[in-house]
Amino acid sequence: MSDREEPEPASGTAEDPPYRCEPDVGSGAREQVPAPESVNRLSPRSMVTAPVKTLKGFIVPIGVALVLGNFNPWVLGGAAAALIGMIATGLFTYLTFRYQVGTQHLEIRQGLISRSRRTIPLERVRGVDITSTLLHRLLGLAVVKVEAAAGGDRDEEGTLDAVTATEAERLRRALLYRRALLRGEVTAPERPEGEPRHATEGESAPAPASAVTGGAPGSGGPETVYFVMPPSWYLYALLSIAYLVTPFAALAAVMGLVGQVVSEAGVTEEALEWLVVHETSLVLWGSVAILATLLLLMPVFAVVSYGVAHWGFTLWRRDGSLVAERGLFTRRSVTLEYRRIRGYELLDSPLERMRGAVRLRAVVTGLGDTATRAMLLPIGARDRVARVIERALEPFRGRLVPHPRAALGRRLIRAVGPFAALAVLGWASGFPVVAGVLAFLALLGVPLGVDRYRSLGHGFDGRRVSVRSGSLRREQAVVGSDAIIGWAWSQSPFQRRSGLANLELAVGAGGGSYTAIDAGFQESVDFAGTITPEMVRPFLVAPHTPDDEPAPDRSRSTEGENGRGSR
Amino acid sequence: MTTRLRAPQYRVSRRAVSMWTLGTAVSSVMVTAVLGALVWGVVSAAWSWVPDWLLERAWWIPVIYAGYALVKTVVAPRWRYRVHRWEVTSDVVYTRTGWLSRTWQLVPVSRVQTVDTTQGWLERAFRLATLRVRTASYAGSSTIEGLDADEARRVSEELAVRIGDVGDDAT
Repeated sequence: MSDREEPEPASGTAEDPPYRCEPDVGSGAREQVPAPESVNRLSPRSMVTAPVKTLKGFIVPIGVALVLGNFNPWVLGGAAAALIGMIATGLFTYLTFRYQVGTQHLEIRQGLISRSRRTIPLERVRGVDITSTLLHRLLGLAVVKVEAAAGGDRDEEGTLDAVTATEAERLRRALLYRRALLRGEVTAPERPEGEPRHATEGESAPAPASAVTGGAPGSGGPETVYFVMPPSWYLYALLSIAYLVTPFAALAAVMGLVGQVVSEAGVTEEALEWLVVHETSLVLWGSVAILATLLLLMPVFAVVSYGVAHWGFTLWRRDGSLVAERGLFTRRSVTLEYRRIRGYELLDSPLERMRGAVRLRAVVTGLGDTATRAMLLPIGARDRVARVIERALEPFRGRLVPHPRAALGRRLIRAVGPFAALAVLGWASGFPVVAGVLAFLALLGVPLGVDRYRSLGHGFDGRRVSVRSGSLRREQAVVGSDAIIGWAWSQSPFQRRSGLANLELAVGAGGGSYTAIDAGFQESVDFAGTITPEMVRPFLVAPHTPDDEPAPDRSRSTEGENGRGSR
Repeated sequence: MTTRLRAPQYRVSRRAVSMWTLGTAVSSVMVTAVLGALVWGVVSAAWSWVPDWLLERAWWIPVIYAGYALVKTVVAPRWRYRVHRWEVTSDVVYTRTGWLSRTWQLVPVSRVQTVDTTQGWLERAFRLATLRVRTASYAGSSTIEGLDADEARRVSEELAVRIGDVGDDAT
């Protein structure tokens, strides 16, 4: 899909520059691109959310200052001044903030004295995210984040905090629609009015669904829902260590606070000592009870906090994008364009594998914070996840080739070796207990190493490449073969002895690369050669030709094969 | 199992060996000096919690390191020179780097985003340069060290032209 191809105007010449200055809309050239919208402001209600947001960051320092300062008038006055300052800032932001969707750019202006003006070319918009915290939703507001590639490898963001929820949705559609028009991915409807022009409501004027990638905004285009979280899936929180330990993290925080309060309140160490000495059993039973309650409550906490974060997880397709939305209080929706999705990752831990559960993540170009934002599904049953992949993405249909037997030895040495060596060292220097613990850990390394070996594999199904590795956090990545932007083999002396190498696939998306660990060197070269013959073939030779045939210090002359194809 | 990667066609400049030797020697001397100073400090302070057997043998540390550094200074640059190879065809930048561990890397020219040559003070003294080829992925970025400076500049210019012709960085 060529993405700069503009529908050429009848009068236009082929040399027409792809970009055009903002005001010349009426020239007949850009008939389909709707005229610039009027200049908009944030919602007046943002005067409430902005100070509250700032306050959240300062509430602890202010509180501490108040307590430590014994509420003396100076500190009190300072806090009041800070509060007034925040409110004033909110007011000021509201009064000076303007944004406008133009024909070519989204323009955001702010400030009175030191003015800032950010212009985001619509063509470079990568995604529009809408989030709203609980407070935002109570007020019917939402935060719009516009992400754009700013040329080079920098990314830029424009944040509108906050507009009304309907305006946010309208803006999202308008921006994506205009971008699609600029890129020539859709043809405009006959009437330019197909797009709702003003901030009032988003769902007016249904536009005819149009050509290539999806519908025009307004109508919403065809929406396909791929997944809605079934209630039983909230229980998968029990498989997530991160959510299980939440209560302990909370407990640690509470303990810290209690400690602080105790020392602040002047409870002396003697008093504590007295308590421990005279009421030993009370203290003991008390702590046992607290711990037991915590252990019992652990799963409950886990499910609740998981539920809050993933409430009503929904995945659907709209206008050539995948949209994932979730959250109970803070509802966040992430829009991933199909154009930028290069593949997906399946992640699981041993615990999740035992229950047949897996997590799904998208591999997307130019997306920061992939861990949370590229999440396509919550932890869920493998077969259901596979069905979603089947419908929403293109699944990998090939088979993973296991890695050579020699890789098993290496995995085992890696898993067992360090602990075994430390255990021996501990024993030799006379710490039998430590040595025992380390020996036990070394023993645990055996199943770990075996499992790591079993998870190793790579495969190609004709269109997609898949690489898998890891045990405690097993990861299977699937990317389209056209997403591969380089190959690298690395080989340590030990690997050379057993004919293995790590093959690294460079991908301009997601984590940047995926590695097939301890693959057979020759086999992996063939593998790469099958996937991108034009990249690998020129450098292949028959297996037993000598390697270091004459390799001249390259002479100064310009002959040689390079640079041939220039111009 | 019928094929394997051949080595890239060209070696880097012969002067790279001298540069690497000098660079390793300088850093080795510095690290040895720092280690020696640390050990001297510990020995002369003679804290009671440092066991005696350790104090007596503390001098071994810088001495052993110096021995290792000497071997490395002599061996590594020459070895590296044998391993380091590069080749730029019209479509692919192919490099082999490393010494004990080796890395073979293929970067398609069509996916390259930037090409730059850099020259540190040491490199300048030896009329050498480093050529860096970057793609959208850090893993797909290739570095050729120890190129003759003129050669590096010429290659980077050719590559830049070529990228303008065929570029599509897959982001």
